Amino acid sequence: MSSPHPLTPSPVQEVRERERGDDLQQTPLDARLASVPEEVFRPRPMARALFGLCLAALLFAVLLGVSVGAVSIPVTTVAHLLLARLSPFPATLNYPEMFSTILFDIRLPRVALMGLTGAALSAAGATYQGLFRNPLADPYLVGVASGAGLGATIIISMGLPVTGLGLMAVPVGAFLGGVLTVGLVVMMAQVGRTTPVTTLLLAGVAVGSFATAITTFWMLRSPDGMRRAFSWLLGGYAGGGWQPVWIVLPYLAVGLIVLQLNTRALNVLQLDEEQARQLGLNVNRLKLILVGAATLMTAAAVSFGGLIGFVGLVVPHALRMLGGPDYRRLIPLSALGGAAFLILADLIARTMFAPQELPVGVITALTGAPFFILLLRRLKRSVF
Amino acid sequence: MFRKLFFPALLALSVLLGACAAPAALPTATVEPALEPITLTDSLGREVTLAAPAQRIISLAPSNTEIVFALGVGDKLVGRDDFSDYPAEALKVQSIGSLYPKVNPEVILALKPDLVLAAGITNPDDVTALAKLGLTVYTTHNATGLADIYSDILAVGRLTGHSADAEKLVADMQARIEAVTARTAALTDKPKVFYEIDATDPAKPYTAGPGSFIDQLLTLAGATNVGNVSTEQYFQISLEELVAQDPAIILLGSFTYGGQTPELVKARVGWDKIAAVENDAVYIFDDNLVSRPGPRVVVGLETLAKLIQPELFK
Repeated sequence: MSSPHPLTPSPVQEVRERERGDDLQQTPLDARLASVPEEVFRPRPMARALFGLCLAALLFAVLLGVSVGAVSIPVTTVAHLLLARLSPFPATLNYPEMFSTILFDIRLPRVALMGLTGAALSAAGATYQGLFRNPLADPYLVGVASGAGLGATIIISMGLPVTGLGLMAVPVGAFLGGVLTVGLVVMMAQVGRTTPVTTLLLAGVAVGSFATAITTFWMLRSPDGMRRAFSWLLGGYAGGGWQPVWIVLPYLAVGLIVLQLNTRALNVLQLDEEQARQLGLNVNRLKLILVGAATLMTAAAVSFGGLIGFVGLVVPHALRMLGGPDYRRLIPLSALGGAAFLILADLIARTMFAPQELPVGVITALTGAPFFILLLRRLKRSVF
Repeated sequence: MFRKLFFPALLALSVLLGACAAPAALPTATVEPALEPITLTDSLGREVTLAAPAQRIISLAPSNTEIVFALGVGDKLVGRDDFSDYPAEALKVQSIGSLYPKVNPEVILALKPDLVLAAGITNPDDVTALAKLGLTVYTTHNATGLADIYSDILAVGRLTGHSADAEKLVADMQARIEAVTARTAALTDKPKVFYEIDATDPAKPYTAGPGSFIDQLLTLAGATNVGNVSTEQYFQISLEELVAQDPAIILLGSFTYGGQTPELVKARVGWDKIAAVENDAVYIFDDNLVSRPGPRVVVGLETLAKLIQPELFK
């Protein structure tokens, strides 16, 4: 694995360089590596400021997200209502009850869910890109999306009652569909006792296409459920409320912790598998842990948020370009950045043609792609 | 003496108080006295309770909008979905957008409805979301037959305090349908009819299969539905099958949303040998008359009958 141009160091080389001080001293390195300038070792100057920037962006996105909507509520009113709800002393505010319903039962849970979804997709995307050492990897790479789509469609076509337990049937179906599909992919991809990246990718593509084909077939067979399935695929779970937030939150929290605990290993993996193994890394175990954590996060997010493209690709890449490829920073940065990005994208989706809502995936693609291209052109250095 | 005066006085007082409490709503039509709350079970199996007849209604489907107007309560409609375009007055009502990918709950809440009429085509998750916000949502049927439409009309009648009007409307519909079927029931010559729903792919257009609502209406109108070859209610029929069946009449419901015309059908490759095309028996048809489970299905049936059995219905 070598970079296409000696002056555009890849993260592989950077990590090699960084590790050269200790264990790798004896490992023979490319002669070219010796000429890599010193500055590559240091974290990019932007890196430290990036955390602050991402936090500020997230805060800004949340405030904007709860202030703007189809119904206009003055920003001061929003602030009053929020402060009154947060403060321990209940104040009596003279605003229409509708404002508080819109704020606390519609916008806030929606902003929260979008934030969690964006964080999950983006962190999972960064993980897959590192794990597969492939810049095109996205959170749906190993079949979560197509599996979730199939699960949701099957449940919808069953026409379960929409009262009581049946309420959550669609997200549960999507979650199970996603997780089972990835499980199947990982099982199929195993060669002996290892899970080579290539077979994992191929199995993901094959099983994914298969699941998508069944989904299409199933939708055509049950025209009554088609609208609902279509609605879910485009926009996710429409049931609203705080419940989805409380369900997704633990998956995201645990997933992020697991990913963060493995970021050093992920850095080492950027060498290549053989070298990482020689360094004492159990590469196969690492793969299963990372795929498992990323899949659970993505599946939980997708079951409620629907299939939202581009977040898991654009956000990690943008942050990688700005802050460097160190996964110890990249994973938490991606979570923050992804949350802010998706909250803003959803804001545009629900206000641009209000009262008509657009699928948020349309906005992520429309805004994400040009932004991505701009970044690529301005920072013409390969970070992969 | 006091007793005799007390009750009328109390009654008058309560009427006055009631009038003061609700000065905004000025019912123009005569509303039946509704002393008890109205409780109904909707098509999703949810129990829906209204304390009093609805005064501010939002309709989430064209069929519901048409029912509301047919019952004479169109003036109480404060919101409608984007597709509700009939009657013309409906277009003056504020739109709440289309329902895909999901309903915008803020707009609905802002209109302060006391009744939201969802339909069989509404995503049940949207119904859940609106109900969670404390709104009263009643879901009409994904109608599989005329009986469902009658029951929807009667339900909307009860929810709006216009039960008598609803019963009258249903009786009228039944009488008009009876008038058609009385003449078609004994027919032995039932021409083969192909009803085209969508011709995005003219080589295999969508049509209605056995038991579908369109199939039921075609049969009542004295036709043999070509789509009966399938077991599916909605499916894509192959051109080969169509040529083999050789329908005598083609109805282009695909005109309404797809702009298909008899001229376009004539120009389609391989269609010129079908009897209906050869004999110029290809007609455009307002698909809304048979695809919206509302009061206008009667007009749909009568129009079908005139096209299919012109001799019987001059």
